[in-house]
Amino acid sequence: MSGPNYPNTRRRTRLDAQFDRIRAREEAGLAKSGGGSRAVKKFLNNRLAVFGLVVFAIIIFASVFAPLLTPYDPNKIDLRGMLQAPSWEHWFGTDRTGRDLFARVLYGGRISILVGLGSAVLAAIIGVLIGVYTGYVGGWLDALAMRVSEIFMSFPQIILVLMLVSILGQSLLNLMLIFTLTGWGGIYRMARARMLSLREEEYVLALRSFGLSRPLIAYKHMLPNALGPIMVNITLSTAAFILQEAGLSFLGLGVPLSIPTWGNILNVAQDIRVLQTNWWIWLPVGAVISLFVLSVNFIGDGLRDATDPSQQG
Amino acid sequence: MLTYIIRRVLILIPMAFVICFLVYLGLELTPGDAVSHMINPDAAGSMNPAQLEALRQSLGLGQPFHVRFWSWFTNLVQGNFGYSMSGGVPISNIIATRLPATLELAAVALVFSTVIGSLLGVVSALKRGSKTDSALTVIGMLGVSIPEFFFGLVAISIFALNLGWFPVGGRSMPGYVTLWDRLPHMVMPAMVLSIMLTAGVMRYARSSMLDALSRDFIKTARSKGLPEWRVNLLHGFRVALTPVVVLIGFRLPVLIGGSVIIEQVFQWPGIGNEFISAVRSQDYPVVMTIALLSVMAVLVASLIVDILTAVIDPRVRLGE
Repeated sequence: MSGPNYPNTRRRTRLDAQFDRIRAREEAGLAKSGGGSRAVKKFLNNRLAVFGLVVFAIIIFASVFAPLLTPYDPNKIDLRGMLQAPSWEHWFGTDRTGRDLFARVLYGGRISILVGLGSAVLAAIIGVLIGVYTGYVGGWLDALAMRVSEIFMSFPQIILVLMLVSILGQSLLNLMLIFTLTGWGGIYRMARARMLSLREEEYVLALRSFGLSRPLIAYKHMLPNALGPIMVNITLSTAAFILQEAGLSFLGLGVPLSIPTWGNILNVAQDIRVLQTNWWIWLPVGAVISLFVLSVNFIGDGLRDATDPSQQG
Repeated sequence: MLTYIIRRVLILIPMAFVICFLVYLGLELTPGDAVSHMINPDAAGSMNPAQLEALRQSLGLGQPFHVRFWSWFTNLVQGNFGYSMSGGVPISNIIATRLPATLELAAVALVFSTVIGSLLGVVSALKRGSKTDSALTVIGMLGVSIPEFFFGLVAISIFALNLGWFPVGGRSMPGYVTLWDRLPHMVMPAMVLSIMLTAGVMRYARSSMLDALSRDFIKTARSKGLPEWRVNLLHGFRVALTPVVVLIGFRLPVLIGGSVIIEQVFQWPGIGNEFISAVRSQDYPVVMTIALLSVMAVLVASLIVDILTAVIDPRVRLGE
């Protein structure tokens, strides 16, 4: 394909090539118009984001349908089959008590993803509920919420999480509560900042002059216009929470060890002998965690590019 | 300028006070008090409740909450953080022995990640849209997606266990004193700690550089006929770098969080290691004090960042 003849001021990049292709399509009258949201199309045009979505879907699917994919019980101890290397029978090998690691990774994914996604959604709900209302209303309520979030956010997150773990004790529910409590600040600030700029829009003034109640204006009419950045924030904090769960469980301070999670499978890798001789215990799980978090991050980036035209780079 | 600094400090003080209060509240709400840790549980069972009560009174534990808080707080300000529950060691001693190790690691990681991160970010911005740029973006994404401790495990397994280049963990061997002797111990933890930071700096430096390159003065420099490298380095890079360096302060929480886990992976005898073992043994005074100190460090860092930003960019202090 011979592209249009640009004056040769700078080197052509991938973006230029992409632009040329689009232009050629348009000139040929092939460009589709309408049909589907622009943001969705933009997202699907982003190769990394689509890759992320595919990997994300595969891992979620595999965890949800774990019983169909593996005949093994993740907690079944088999003392005759301890520390077996990967084979056709045990795809990821077995651990020190003979539990099938492939099954543990699949079932562990359920809990790890539940903790990550669940806490992110809970944190988002709290952050949005507070941020949208106080951002719109302003005044002392806003100032108070801002101060409280500042206090929460001045703690390095892991320190605050570990401090609360030591006070509240270890359990799955506690961990999710702690993540929610430590994670709402970021999304609250973003929702608030978005509301502060939306507050000046004319449609808000119009709604106010109709005499609509403040919660109705804030939640029903203004919130939908802030959804893009909120979705981005949920994906990115899901990634962060999954990393934190893995880190905490690796240290033995996250989800109780009796429940398989990605971090808990890695827990034994603190032992230098396991690290040296039984690579199959920690390497595949670590790769799965990394792949999952990577896919979530790609999706988050893709969402941001698709929904926020000001943040392109 | 001075009024700006004073105003910032005045905002900070009540916040620091509230955080101290919350931490003390946490300390009070956790089970056990000083007496239950001074006395062996077996002995406590056989002791007269009146005796225990007398001991509590003599330690001032019977006083009302606000009095106890105030005495704890004044002690804190004077650098007396109380005592560890295990062994009754003064917490200030623990901090004093552990802090140098942590600072050593953090300083190396900070310098390394800032230099490498901003270089890569600038290269990525200058070659925007190219293969190098996409590759660096993906690598940066990998850097923030792979758990730090997993990096640590892989590094130990490759470089310490298989190749034997570096020791598995610890800060030094017995009898090794000079920095040179300790260097091999430091390489792996410092590099692993740098990875996540570097990825963050790189992304930030890239967008900062892109921003700088789109300004008018770059066009002016180019139209003057300056060579491209001079435009990029002397005009673009200088402007782009300022926010990157200033933002070092904001990376402190990431650095603290990272070092907590990395110190554990490499058995580095720093504050983070101490913090984890305190959490494990439920040694609340140590947990709370370290948490408090880390918050204070973050607050002071953000204050310094604000002041630096105001020094560099007068619009910040005039705008408020």
